Amino acid sequence: MAFYAYKDYTEDQKVLEAMQSVMAGNLGLHWFNANTEKFKGHASDPNRGLTYDDLNHGTYGYSDLPEHLRTSQSMVARGSDKSGKLPDMGYVVNRKSDVWSDNVSELYEETKARRWAPATDIPWAALGEKPLSETIEIACAQLYTFLQECEAVSLDFPARWVALVNQDFIEQKSFMCGQMLDASRLLEVFRKRALYGGAGLKRANVNAEQGLKEWLWAETYPQGSLSINLALSGMLLAIFRHVAAFAPSVTDRAIMRKAMQDRGRWVSYGTGALRYHLEHQPGQRVALHEYLDESEHVMLGIIGSAEFLEPLIIIAGGGLDKDQVKTGRVAVAKLIKLMMREYFARLDYAGLGGRTERSRLPQVMERVQVA
Amino acid sequence: MAYLATHDYLEDKNFVDKWLYTMRTGEMDLSWMNAKTEKIMPRPQNARRGLTYRDLDVGSYGFTEVPEKVRDNRSYAPRGAEIPEGVPDAQPWVSRKSELWAFNTESYYEEAVSRQWNATTDIPWDRLEGVEMPEATGKALSQLMTFLTEVEMIATDTPAMWLPRLNPDFIEVKAFIASQAMDEARHAEVFRKRALTTGWGLMAASPMNEMALKHLRDADSFSEMSVALHLVAEGNVLTMFRFSEYLSPTDVDKKIFRLVMQDEARHVGYGMQHFKYVLENFPEKREVLHAHLDEAENISFAGAAATEVTESFIILAGGGMKKENIEEGIKVTTQFNLKQMHEHFERLEKCGMPERKDPKRSKLYAMFLQGKADAEAHGITF
Repeated sequence: MAFYAYKDYTEDQKVLEAMQSVMAGNLGLHWFNANTEKFKGHASDPNRGLTYDDLNHGTYGYSDLPEHLRTSQSMVARGSDKSGKLPDMGYVVNRKSDVWSDNVSELYEETKARRWAPATDIPWAALGEKPLSETIEIACAQLYTFLQECEAVSLDFPARWVALVNQDFIEQKSFMCGQMLDASRLLEVFRKRALYGGAGLKRANVNAEQGLKEWLWAETYPQGSLSINLALSGMLLAIFRHVAAFAPSVTDRAIMRKAMQDRGRWVSYGTGALRYHLEHQPGQRVALHEYLDESEHVMLGIIGSAEFLEPLIIIAGGGLDKDQVKTGRVAVAKLIKLMMREYFARLDYAGLGGRTERSRLPQVMERVQVA
Repeated sequence: MAYLATHDYLEDKNFVDKWLYTMRTGEMDLSWMNAKTEKIMPRPQNARRGLTYRDLDVGSYGFTEVPEKVRDNRSYAPRGAEIPEGVPDAQPWVSRKSELWAFNTESYYEEAVSRQWNATTDIPWDRLEGVEMPEATGKALSQLMTFLTEVEMIATDTPAMWLPRLNPDFIEVKAFIASQAMDEARHAEVFRKRALTTGWGLMAASPMNEMALKHLRDADSFSEMSVALHLVAEGNVLTMFRFSEYLSPTDVDKKIFRLVMQDEARHVGYGMQHFKYVLENFPEKREVLHAHLDEAENISFAGAAATEVTESFIILAGGGMKKENIEEGIKVTTQFNLKQMHEHFERLEKCGMPERKDPKRSKLYAMFLQGKADAEAHGITF
C-alpha cells in the first residue's frame, strides 16, 4: 500500500475518547470560530444562475490567487481555515501561470451548460433510412476510427495531469474534468457512428498515434497543453468544420456540430493558457519555441498519414472517380492551409509570434499542389 | 516523461514525398479500405433510449468478448480496429479485465451522460435570497459543506489519475471514470457554492479526513482504489447525503442532496459490481482486498471521529445548540453512524465478502456491534 494513515485510529485512545466525549454531548466546537472571511455570494444575473465568477471574491476568489502556491499542498478548499496536520498531496503544478487562463471559469460553466448525449441527441435513424454509398461509408468508417484515436489521447491528457495540479486551482481542475467527459463523449459518438454505418472500424493510424503519444507525453503541462489543447484541438476543430461542410448525411453533420462546440472550448482554453503563461513567464518563450521546433512535425505525421488524408479526400469529393478525387484534393488542400493559418494565428495571438518564419512546417506545406 | 515518435515526419523524405504525391496526383494507397475487421450493423434495441454502448456489444467490437488478459492491444487503437505494426505502447498498467470490469458499466456511463446536471442553473439559488439561518445552524451547514468540498475534489483526482493507466480496450470503464471525474467536480462546485451562500463563508478543514483521502488516492491497484473509493468512501458519503437531505434546513439544500445522491449511487453501484466481479474472476485478490479494507476501514473510522464534521452534523440534526437540540442531534447522528457501518458491511456481503461481518476479522465490525449494543441500551435503533 502506497500510503498509510499516521496512526491506527481504531487503536488510538485519544481519538476514541474525543469521539465519546462529543457523542456524550460535550462539543468542542473548535471549528465554530474558524478564521475565515464572511461572505454571502449572489448570482449577479439570476437568469444565468450562480456561477464561479459570482464567487470570485477575496480569499475565496481566483483573482487573488498568488502566482506561486507555496503553503497549500493539501486538499483544503480554497479560503477555508487550515489547521492541524494536513497531508502533502505531491502537486507538481503549483504556479498559476502554468495552468491558468482568464476564460477558464466561463469555459467550465459552458461545458456544463452545453451537455449532450450521443445516445439520444444524434439522429441515428436518419442514417439508417438513407444509407451512404459503400465507398463513402468505408471512408467515413476510416475517418471515425482515426478520430477515436485522437479522442483516446485527448481523454488521457487532462486525466494524466489533473491530480498533479494544485487543488487551489479548482476552476481549472473542474474544467479539466469537463474535458475528460468531452473526450469520452466524442470517442463514444465517433465509435457509434463508425459502427452504425455497417462498414465496421478500419485501420489504426500508426503515424498519427506515434505523434499523438509524443504530444501526450510532453514533459511539462504548458508544453502538453500547447500540443493537445491548441495544436491538436485546433486541427480537430478545422477537421470537424470541414466534415460538417461536406457531410454525407444529416447524422454526420449533427455529430460534427456537437464536436465543434466541445473542441472549440479546448482551443479557447489552450490559447488563453498559453497567453497567460507567456505574459507571466516571458522567459518561457524561448523554451516553447524550441519545444515546437521539435514537436510540430507531429502535425505532418497526422495530416500526411494515408489513414487520415485519403478518406477525407473521398468524403470531400463524394467518391473515388477521378473528378471526385480532384474535388476532394482541392478541398483538403484548402483545409490544410486553413489549419496552418489558424495554428500560427493562435500562436501569434497568444504571444508566440514569429513561428511562420521559424517553423519547419510552412516550407513543407507550401509544396502542396493539386494537379 | 517525454516520448519521441519513431520518426520526425518533417525530416522523413519518403513520408513527405508520398504525401505530396497523393495530393498532387490523386493516386492513393487505399489499403485501409480492405482492413480485416468485422462488419456489423448495430441498431438501438430501444429507440427511446437511443444508440447505446450495449447496442454495440457485438463480436470483436463488444465488451462481452474482451478477454480476461488483453494481450493484443496496448495502443490508442479503438477496440476492434485493425492494428498494424508500429503503433506505440500506451503503457497501460491495467490490462486484466477482472481488475476493473463491472457488470453494467456501459449503462452506468450512459446514465451518467444523460443525467448530467448543472450546479449553476439547476439549483434554485435565488430562493436563498433573504434566508438568514441562525448562527448555529448556519455555521454548521457551512462546516458540513466545507468538508464535502474537500472530499469531492479528491474524488476527481483519484479516479482520473487511473484513467491513462487503463488499457484502451476497456472503453466503457474509461468512459465511466471520465464521467465520474466530472460528477465529482460538479459536487465540489455545488458544495462550495452552497457554503459561500450561507453568509458564513467556508469553515475549517478536516485534517483527519484528509489523511483518509490521501489513502484513497495512493492505492497500489485499481481494484484497491475502487474498493476504498467507490465502496467504502462513496458508500459512506451516500449514507451521509441521505441523512443530510433529511436534515436539510432549506428546500435548496434538499435539492442539492437529491441531485448528488443520484450521481453517488451510480459510483457506488459501479464499485459494488466491480468488487463482485473481481472476487469472482480473480479470487487470488481476495486477501489483498481484505488487507486494503483493513486500512480503508481504519480511515473510515477516522472520518467518523473527525469532530468538526460530527459536531456540525449533530447541530444540524438537532436544529440548534440548546441542550434538547444537542440530545436530539446525538440521537440522529448515532443512527447515522450505525447506518453507515451497517450499510458498508451489507454491501460487502452482497458483493461476496460476508466474512468481514466478523469482529475478529474487522475492527470496524467489532466497533459497529459495540456501538449498536450501546445505542440499543439507550433506546436508539436505526
